Amino acid sequence: MRNTITKFRWFWAWQDETEERWLGEMSKKGFHLLSVGIPGIYTFSVAEPKEYVYRLDFQNFTRKDKQEYLQIFQDAGWEHIGELSTWQYFRKEVREGEVSEIFTDAESKIAKYKRALVFMGFFLVLLSVLYWGQIVNENPYTWWGVIVAIYSLIILLLAFSFFKIAIRINQLKRR
Amino acid sequence: MTYQAGIEKYLPLTEATYYIMLALVEPLHGYGVMQKVEEISGGAVKIGPGTLYGAFTVLEKEGLIIKTKEEDRRKSYTLTAKGRSVLLSQIRRLGTMSRNGLAVLSRLI
Repeated sequence: MRNTITKFRWFWAWQDETEERWLGEMSKKGFHLLSVGIPGIYTFSVAEPKEYVYRLDFQNFTRKDKQEYLQIFQDAGWEHIGELSTWQYFRKEVREGEVSEIFTDAESKIAKYKRALVFMGFFLVLLSVLYWGQIVNENPYTWWGVIVAIYSLIILLLAFSFFKIAIRINQLKRR
Repeated sequence: MTYQAGIEKYLPLTEATYYIMLALVEPLHGYGVMQKVEEISGGAVKIGPGTLYGAFTVLEKEGLIIKTKEEDRRKSYTLTAKGRSVLLSQIRRLGTMSRNGLAVLSRLI
């Protein structure tokens, strides 16, 4: 019999390292990630505590590229657990205290955040253009004010994430 | 002359890219590259899969490496003529830097 638990957690794009640590801590308590799903639903299997290192990558690719990508990770001993939107979740067992990394230099870590930045930038521009197109139209709906407020909030959060990731890139460059 | 200038823009290579290109003097797939790099660096350089996949993508886009084989889900790559020129220029540059360094070494110790 397999016991599972489900947790909901909001994941901010700039907090990927916090996410990695959290999943590692969960495994130490005996909760091992089984699957992830939008909007942040985590399913864990309940088993013996184990030391795993969890790592996240940001990839937005076609299916064909994905096969090659996943094969490289698998060959290197990484288990692909799933994806949350464009975030790829991997884990590997910690053996003899040796913590493995999927990114072994600052340049490739920066490239990861840049991919996230481009992705978010695209949506930010798209939503802003749509927003502007709607806002200048006088609208008769009763709930229009609410819709505008929610829409504004989404754009603001996206802009904030964009800004936080840009800061992260700068930190890595200065290191 | 213009060809040489085209080569210069890739230099200096990062340590990871340099070793990946060294490994690709012969066709290898992803995991093969990781093993080869560890072997030629005597275990000093390890390349993670995320770093490797990123390098493959960039190097292929820039025409420095080319796909040679597709087996199951594993793709093999090797250096193109342009890739060889870039790698050669990097090795020469490192050679010069090393010689220059050795020349002043006695004054440092």
